[in-house]
Amino acid sequence: MLKPILLVEDNPNDLELTLIALEKSKLANEVVVVRDGAEALDFLNCNGIFNKRATGNPAVVLLDLKLPKIDGLEVLSQIRSSAKLQSIPVVMLTSSKEEQDLLRSYQLGVNAYVVKPVDFGEFIKAISDLGIFWAVLNEPPPGSIRANRRS
Amino acid sequence: MNAIHRTGFSPAAACDKEPIHIPGSIQPHGMLIAFTSDNFLVDQISANCASFTGVKPEDVVGKPLSAVLGDEGAQWLIAEIANQNIIARPVYLGALKMPNGSFFDVMVHAWQGLVILEFEMISREKAADFRLLYPLITKFVSTLQDANEIESMCAIAAREIKNVTQFGRVLVYSFDHQGHGHVLAEAIDTGYHSYFNQRFPASDIPQQARAMYVANRVRLIANANYTPARLVPGTHSVTGEAIDLTYASLRSVSPVHLQYMRNMGTLASMSVSIVVKGRLWGLISCHNTEPREVSFETRSTCEQLGQILALHIDAHQERTESAYRLELRGMLVSLLGALSQSQNFVDNFSMVSHDLLRLAGASGAALIFEGKTTLFGATPPEADVYELAQWLATQMTGEVFNTDALSAVYAGGSAMKDVASGILALSISRHHKHYLIWFRPEVIRTIDWAGNPHLKSGQDGAFQALTPRQSFELWSETVVATSKPWRQSEIDAALEFRTAILGVVLERAEAMAELADELGRANKELESFSYSVSHDLRSPMRHIVGFTDLLLEMEAGRLSEKGTRFLRNIKESARFAGKLVDDLLSFSQMGRSALRTSEVDLNALVENSVSKLQSEITGRHIVWNIAPLPPICADPVFMQMAVQNLISNAVKYTSSRETAVISISARESERETVFEFKDNGVGFSMEYAHKLFGVFQRLHRMEDFEGTGIGLANVKRIVERHGGWVSALGEIDKGATFSFSVPRNLPTEEGDAHVKADTTR
Repeated sequence: MLKPILLVEDNPNDLELTLIALEKSKLANEVVVVRDGAEALDFLNCNGIFNKRATGNPAVVLLDLKLPKIDGLEVLSQIRSSAKLQSIPVVMLTSSKEEQDLLRSYQLGVNAYVVKPVDFGEFIKAISDLGIFWAVLNEPPPGSIRANRRS
Repeated sequence: MNAIHRTGFSPAAACDKEPIHIPGSIQPHGMLIAFTSDNFLVDQISANCASFTGVKPEDVVGKPLSAVLGDEGAQWLIAEIANQNIIARPVYLGALKMPNGSFFDVMVHAWQGLVILEFEMISREKAADFRLLYPLITKFVSTLQDANEIESMCAIAAREIKNVTQFGRVLVYSFDHQGHGHVLAEAIDTGYHSYFNQRFPASDIPQQARAMYVANRVRLIANANYTPARLVPGTHSVTGEAIDLTYASLRSVSPVHLQYMRNMGTLASMSVSIVVKGRLWGLISCHNTEPREVSFETRSTCEQLGQILALHIDAHQERTESAYRLELRGMLVSLLGALSQSQNFVDNFSMVSHDLLRLAGASGAALIFEGKTTLFGATPPEADVYELAQWLATQMTGEVFNTDALSAVYAGGSAMKDVASGILALSISRHHKHYLIWFRPEVIRTIDWAGNPHLKSGQDGAFQALTPRQSFELWSETVVATSKPWRQSEIDAALEFRTAILGVVLERAEAMAELADELGRANKELESFSYSVSHDLRSPMRHIVGFTDLLLEMEAGRLSEKGTRFLRNIKESARFAGKLVDDLLSFSQMGRSALRTSEVDLNALVENSVSKLQSEITGRHIVWNIAPLPPICADPVFMQMAVQNLISNAVKYTSSRETAVISISARESERETVFEFKDNGVGFSMEYAHKLFGVFQRLHRMEDFEGTGIGLANVKRIVERHGGWVSALGEIDKGATFSFSVPRNLPTEEGDAHVKADTTR
């Protein structure tokens, strides 16, 4: 069973393009979409609307940097400081290659940092590379489950 | 005519040492008795007492006063003394009849434990009558009040004193700061030589005489050919010392002075001190060719007149000085107001240069500030002023320096004497060589001396040094390379101005600090602005490109050819806008992020850049001439960007060439390493070379060569942050050569602050 990919993205355009890119990369994983940092943490901790979901961590979290309520860096920091969540691979997807964001992300233990390219072709390639590496190639830690795609 | 620099004459040293206060004798026109007030016994008496009283001095020494004065005279005197407060300044006791029937005016004063009686023979029986003094002084005061100038006051005094004393010549002169006397007024009888406006050198009056003139305000020498009457005995019975006659009017004067008088042709002289604020300001000097005695009441009248004159001079000087200071203050206020007008310190000075010159009464000024020399009015050339400032830096220990004869102290002074014989310099910074210098031009003056002052000294030996000068003939001296002297009030105003300027300079430093703060804030704002831009402006571009791509892909079959082209245009434009944002961001980042320097292998950077350009290179024929490049110390990431830009430019602008030739080389000097990127592309006109490195500057049409116009601006910024320079050489259709340098002593890491500071200037 493949673990899901958790996509945290608030911008509908980016969300649609990212989903298309993931689709085009022909990954078999389910993609769970949440729209802000708070929702992402709820999903990961099985809280709030996600209190009924089957337990288990996603294969990878694709995390936008700028998010409503709780921003990407804060979400990352909470993941890394939680014993249950800290081993989840996190890929920062962002509009900017601002040095301070990049540095902060690495300090917080991000696994990859991707500046979304303007060119859509390049974007598809970047997303599928990531998906293949983190969702398919990586050995899932024990206790992972496959979640239903929600969107 | 004699042209010399004014130096000041060395006073005759021997004269200065002569103990004129203890001559051991008196002038013979009177008699002197000294005694101690506790026993009224004659301690010392002048030897000429015999001629006045008939008693021999040796017969009366140690005896009561009555031995000389008779019982009646002695009783009267002792009673008078008991009634008086006897002080150093002689007091008039009245007229005394001697046992032999002659009459005497009696003056008494006490000095160093002795009571000194002076007797002057008179023809009248009664005491001196001072009633005439009152109307005379009233008239004198009212005439003085009508005078507006010191010279005319002195002229009035000269006339009045001549009237009172009937001397043949009365001079009133003042002493300058070097002690030379300048004759300001004169009243003379026919046949007398005029000394008006002439100078008497300082050495004419020795130092100790000047001190005595302050204490004893009137001195009479009735006959220069007198034979002194010595005191008997020569020394005091108790102290064993000669009696100090500082306050005695009969004091015998130096034989040198008597010779001086004879040389001058005056057998009688009297001088009245003009003492202003406790200082000997000048003298009223009376001369007569024939001997002349002056009674005590006349001398007193002259002393009164002298004091009144001194008071009027004092008041006049105070008035003039305070009016002048008020004017200076007004100028100072307007100057300071102007100096705080705008941020530019030096410009502010230019706006008020007229007042600046007026403040110090100068005809030129120079401001040497922050390495820049600014001239106002008539000054030496800039280079000379700069040299002068360098010299001042070695000379000035205080805040101010002034001279009215620059060439006498500064070797470069002669060349600039026309405009700068006098300078008044202010140091206007505590830490830097910043100066404000005022200039005064040369004023060639002729000074008329009453006799050549240079002849007096220079004769051989101490014996000769005590010889007074022989000649009082007019001797003209031309003084060159000298300006009008700087007045104390001008120097004071300059100093006050300095304090204020220091305030302005300080304020300026504060303003700079504030500006730096503001810049820092603005920079922060800009940073957050570009942060938002990078996130928010980039996203919509990406979306447009993404959706257009999808549309082109999904609807390819259903779109007309035109529709497809339009969609492609939309996509291209959005993609280009996105790239523009990216480039701008990297440009702004370049200015903000710190340099992280390490050793960088340029060969690797070039190789890396070429491989990144693979897609552009494919299908083209390019000859690469890449020489081995030396390692440098630089920020590898930034340096990579710079090299990438230059190589991609070379590739781009040679695209029309069948065979592109791109050469990269380096040369090292002691200070820097210079890299050169040469191509045989389309080149550019040197006319626009200066625009090449600006942001958004493009020299080619978009259709010909795509680009955002930021690449070379980036290269320049990167290189300059490393402390190097960029340059471009080109010719249309003949290729281009871009060079940049990197200093060899670029500090690593910790030295970054320095590089950063340089770029923020």
